[in-house]
Amino acid sequence: MVDLLLLSRLQFAITVAFHFLFVPLTLGLGLLVAGMETMYYRNKSETWRKMADFWGRIFKINFAIGLVTGLAMTFQFGTNWGAYAEFMGDVFGPPLAVEALLAFFLEGTFFGAWIFLDRSRQKLKAFSMWMVALGTNISSLWIITANGFMQNPVGYEMAADGSRVIMTDFFALLTNSYVWYMLVHTLLSAYLLTAFLIMGICAYHFLKRNNNEVFRKSFRIAVAIALVTSVLLPLLGHSYAQYVAELQPAKGAAMDAIWESGSSLPMYLIQVPDSGTGSNSIELLGIPGLASFLYTGSFSGTITGLNQLPQDELPPVEMVFWSFRLMTMLGSLFMIEALLGLYLQKSGKLYTSDKYLKLLMLSIPLPYIAITTGWIVAEVGRQPWIVYGLLKTANGISSVPASDVMLSIVLISALYLVLIVFEIYLIKKTVVNATGVE
Amino acid sequence: MFDFLTHDTLAVIWFFLWCVIWGVYFIVDSFSLGAGLLAPFIAANKAQRVQIQSSVGPFWGGNEVWLILAAGGTFAAFPLVFSKMFTFLYLPMMLLLIGLVIRGISIEYLHKDDNPRIQKAFTWGWFVGSLLISLVLGVAFANFFKGLEIASGVVYEGSLPGLFGPYALIGGVLFVLMSVSSGALWISVKTEGAIAAKAGNLAKKSTLIVPVLALVYLAYSFAGIEGFKANYSAMPVLYILPVLAVVAAVLAVFFAKKDKGFLAFCSNLLALLFIVQTGLASIYPYMLKSSISPEYGIDIFEAASSHMTLSIMLGGALVFVPIVIIYQLWVYTLFREKIKETEQVEY
Repeated sequence: MVDLLLLSRLQFAITVAFHFLFVPLTLGLGLLVAGMETMYYRNKSETWRKMADFWGRIFKINFAIGLVTGLAMTFQFGTNWGAYAEFMGDVFGPPLAVEALLAFFLEGTFFGAWIFLDRSRQKLKAFSMWMVALGTNISSLWIITANGFMQNPVGYEMAADGSRVIMTDFFALLTNSYVWYMLVHTLLSAYLLTAFLIMGICAYHFLKRNNNEVFRKSFRIAVAIALVTSVLLPLLGHSYAQYVAELQPAKGAAMDAIWESGSSLPMYLIQVPDSGTGSNSIELLGIPGLASFLYTGSFSGTITGLNQLPQDELPPVEMVFWSFRLMTMLGSLFMIEALLGLYLQKSGKLYTSDKYLKLLMLSIPLPYIAITTGWIVAEVGRQPWIVYGLLKTANGISSVPASDVMLSIVLISALYLVLIVFEIYLIKKTVVNATGVE
Repeated sequence: MFDFLTHDTLAVIWFFLWCVIWGVYFIVDSFSLGAGLLAPFIAANKAQRVQIQSSVGPFWGGNEVWLILAAGGTFAAFPLVFSKMFTFLYLPMMLLLIGLVIRGISIEYLHKDDNPRIQKAFTWGWFVGSLLISLVLGVAFANFFKGLEIASGVVYEGSLPGLFGPYALIGGVLFVLMSVSSGALWISVKTEGAIAAKAGNLAKKSTLIVPVLALVYLAYSFAGIEGFKANYSAMPVLYILPVLAVVAAVLAVFFAKKDKGFLAFCSNLLALLFIVQTGLASIYPYMLKSSISPEYGIDIFEAASSHMTLSIMLGGALVFVPIVIIYQLWVYTLFREKIKETEQVEY
């Protein structure tokens, strides 16, 4: 018999990871398309209209899947995480309900309006798109407020019988510093993903020597966003990581696989952790004191190692470590690509730099990978807790037959597979035909 | 906030709001569901299918959020009910979820590709998704009114086949049928040309069956479902709910016959609203009624969140629900023009 806990986690991982493939682009592209709609309304330039049409079409295809797969998240808190729902409902339910009330209604209602309003009512069309973009971005605040409590519980007290948490301060949920670190990080990475997707698609057309004004203008906007976000992400990410390491020492130590406590600890450029032996099997090219600096802000700072932390409260170290490494390495690549892009564009060599353009096309999936690995660090790094320090993941599941969960995983996975194949087909077709641009 | 209200009063207010939110969801989604149920059968060509799609396209997404609010509101105000409702009915809820995914994607992707076979597949997807949603919700709510097999200690003893008893099936079929009427009337009001006439004729027939089936369902509820009458005997004024349901259903027949599509549409929605409320009024103070013995059910006082959570949520709902209703109604006015068959816009 397969373990119910494992199945429940697997289903949640599949559905949330799939859902979040569509959310970041929605967050970034929504704002950009809204801007394009407004620009077209203001100066009636055909270029802006074509940009709004083309990127709007990609937005539509992407948004539809984000919309429907989001339902799976709400449902699963009840179907698969019933014990968690009962334990957390008092604190976790309100942000979700407020998210529906403030954000989902806005995006759901105005998405339909935006699609069906024609260009003769451009002002309303632009307004509708702004409401969609506003809704999606507000939504991220509330879901991260809910997630923030799981990472850093605040503004609550335990019920007398210890069966559930009770909210004591709603304001504290919102001012939870974790929420704001994570919100900024999430939004920046969503905008970065959007910028790289736009640059990649533009690159495809530049390679085909299709230097249409629509793509040139789109590239100029995207490369600026890519540069700003790729520089801000590591800068702010550094203080975010430091904050997390202080808050959740096990997650922090796992991010860089620091096994033994110590001060002035180096960071190894090449490193392979092994939780079996509780040490790194390979440590090469150490930079003295860098790990201490990254964790504490001082090159001689002290870090508590994984072996000195409670052994039954450690996350899967390898998974967190490799995810964190991959994310930060990709982050560095994004910065280089963005800088190079700006340089090539300013020097006018962009449209003939085939190698760079090919690199950009290949880079489209990379921010998706970076974001997914980032979430793995945040969520897997918190294990074995579902609510940090309060509730273990194993105690959060619903008692449903494992066979039912197996069945739903199969059904949902099959459905999602069809969706993504068709989604990619539609986006590819839109890009290749440059629908609305020619 | 709301310190002058006791926790029990807040719980009762939230139960009332919970009934309102579910009621709104049922009626606002009914015409998108109905349009989906009808699309593969009444659209003679692509142009007519586009008309049906355009009649619900601007609205269905915003309307579906009422379902998310209903689920999220249950989570926030009555976490225990949220957990048990979704856990006990695990497979039906998964079917509902799959139905919602298929329906939403089908509406949005219906004409995104020019291949007629893909369009046909999504038309059927729209139908299948709509059928799953309306059937599962109808069956689930009939079961809530009848009571789930909850034994002592909140242990669920029910089985999947057990959910499909005659009462639940009537409930399911009734919701499907009322959605069909709702969708047919909506199409007849919102569109012009052949499709409007076809939908109007269909509505005349389907609205005719609604009062009959509604009467059967209501009679079964009051005569055959244990405990259904209790609240009504204690508070006879509640009988206004089933009476209004039947009156509205009959009015829908009358208006449909007179070709007053919009009035027929509204009457049909009211009939649906009052049928749902008739059931919800019967289970109070339980939210998950037990068919084994009443005391095993989960009541609102036991399930309610803390005073603070209920107050904050109440404040939020009182401010934002009216705002949502206002802008949703405003969007309806933006698309008040009838949709013509010649219209060939690419969605």
